[in-house]
Amino acid sequence: MVVFPPTTPQEVIALILYIITSHTFITIIIFPGFIHLTLVVMFLTWYERKLLARIQLRIGPLYAGGPGGILQPIADGVKLIFKEVMIPYKADKPLFLAMPLMLVLFAALPFAVIPFGQHWVIANLEVGLVFLFAMTSLFPSMILIFAWASNSKFPFLGGLRSLFQQVAYEIPMWVAALSVVMLAGSLNLTNIVEAQSKIWFIVPAFLSFIVFFIAIMAELERLPFDLPEAEPELVAGWFTESSGAVFMVIFLGLYMKVYLMSSLVTVLFLGGWWGPAFLPQPVWFIIKTLIVATFMIIPRGVYPRLRVDMLIKTGWTRLLIIALANVFLTILLIHSGILSAWGI
Amino acid sequence: MNPWLAIVIWGVIIVLLTGPMITLPIFWSRRKPDPFRDMPFESGQVPQGEARHRLVMQYYPYLLMFVVFDVVAMFLFAWGISFTTMPLDSSFPVILFLILLAAPLGYALHLAVRKENW
Amino acid sequence: MALIDIPPDLTFVALAAVTIIGAILALQARELIYGAVALAISFIGVAGFFVSLDAPYLAMLQIAIYVGAIVVLILFTIMLVRREVGEEAKDSPQSGEGSVGLWLAGLLSLAISGVAALAGPNMPSTLPSGSLPVSELGPTLATQYPIPLIILALLMSATLIGALVLAKVER
Repeated sequence: MVVFPPTTPQEVIALILYIITSHTFITIIIFPGFIHLTLVVMFLTWYERKLLARIQLRIGPLYAGGPGGILQPIADGVKLIFKEVMIPYKADKPLFLAMPLMLVLFAALPFAVIPFGQHWVIANLEVGLVFLFAMTSLFPSMILIFAWASNSKFPFLGGLRSLFQQVAYEIPMWVAALSVVMLAGSLNLTNIVEAQSKIWFIVPAFLSFIVFFIAIMAELERLPFDLPEAEPELVAGWFTESSGAVFMVIFLGLYMKVYLMSSLVTVLFLGGWWGPAFLPQPVWFIIKTLIVATFMIIPRGVYPRLRVDMLIKTGWTRLLIIALANVFLTILLIHSGILSAWGI
Repeated sequence: MNPWLAIVIWGVIIVLLTGPMITLPIFWSRRKPDPFRDMPFESGQVPQGEARHRLVMQYYPYLLMFVVFDVVAMFLFAWGISFTTMPLDSSFPVILFLILLAAPLGYALHLAVRKENW
Repeated sequence: MALIDIPPDLTFVALAAVTIIGAILALQARELIYGAVALAISFIGVAGFFVSLDAPYLAMLQIAIYVGAIVVLILFTIMLVRREVGEEAKDSPQSGEGSVGLWLAGLLSLAISGVAALAGPNMPSTLPSGSLPVSELGPTLATQYPIPLIILALLMSATLIGALVLAKVER
């Protein structure tokens, strides 16, 4: 039997085996935990470069191992780790080095509440959705601190623009998710997916889906909301002064956010892990998430950039009003009883 | 297992496994401060002036609006959970809440449309 | 897994340490930005207290509003203030302000522990029984506390309109 603290070597081995095969360990370390997260995020960086390349009529990563340069992210990682970390003159060294780590921490922490399958969730919180939104609301402040800590004008201006942009699109994102919460009747993400067993929420909450998708693209600073990284204007925006390992960690954090938001769209609107039974549930989830990520990557090669004041104004005026309108629409839909056919 | 404990463990694992990504390269990189290498990047020219004092004030009202609507959104989440199980007349305070807050929102949007700066 | 049940005292001590050290650093930091970061950490500690007191929704509200919005406002205001003003405040003599605070905190904790020791077994229990699950929070707010909700709405509208008018006038 397993005893704690273990005394004999057999007890140690038994304890280790018990921990390794326990559900918690598997979810935290393997799936949907750390190993799966790093693998998918690395795949996402390769996928984005290949997809953008095809849209822009070029080929993309080609040589790094195997067909189509699939090991390119590993090559990038190795290269970036061995580069020198340059800390600008009179920059705030502790904050400069700690903020990228905080970014990755708060980008990866909400993965604990996202359900990849009926029981494949690290922490089944009753307040899961609000936990996720609380963690993502920390990003603007961390970006601002990092931009201030690199003692330079380009990052500072980029950081301010990024702050205002992300702050402007957070409220429409929350109000759009509110419609889904009203339809599902719970903040627990597993319950929200289970409530979509008959119909995916993209159908009754279609306006919310549009608002949420646009707000997410602005939160993640992807084109056409790319101004904080506008290369002709700001070199690279708030992470201009980061180099080497710092840049790699920030890059990882950004793509973790992309994966997080894509999987959130899948959970809230696309029915999570529901799908025909010939594939296991987590596979459906990942397929849907990658489709959402594809639709986030494609505009990057297609659309021009929005100017910053137009951007902020659009977020506060049009998106917020459409999101609020959808909340009222959801109220009407629920009370008129149309949705009772689908068990809502 | 307590979900909050699982979250704490997950956070600790993330920090433990990504912490070396930043701290190790510090140890094997050059550490002598070099004034030319460490100059803040300004496309080749010598940076002049304080890097941090220039500030855009024109978007400050948006931050204020964000604080208030943050609170509003959180209250709305609390209300939205139990919406399907509540009778309609108990939602009237919340709808009145929303209407009362539509006034400053409308005023802010009116200002945003009229003025060009923000 | 019952093997790694953490005793509640450890949670309380850890959270209290984070909150109090964060608050002390927020006041005594040599750079204002460090103080703001320490304040954010202290707020996260308070949110941890809410979690341990079985109010997870309030904890998330605390993080999203305080750390997510108010700390951003504080940071923005710090960056508005020019560096010379910040340095002037650092150079002024402390005149024993910190030690007065420590003395007061020490006396207060002595008084509270003295009262607790004297009360003995007649101390009231720490927590009222029965916590409110999240799904009950909305109906309770809407049905039992409609007047505070409306007053809150009026207060927030007044604050917002005042802030907007002030921001308009300054330019």
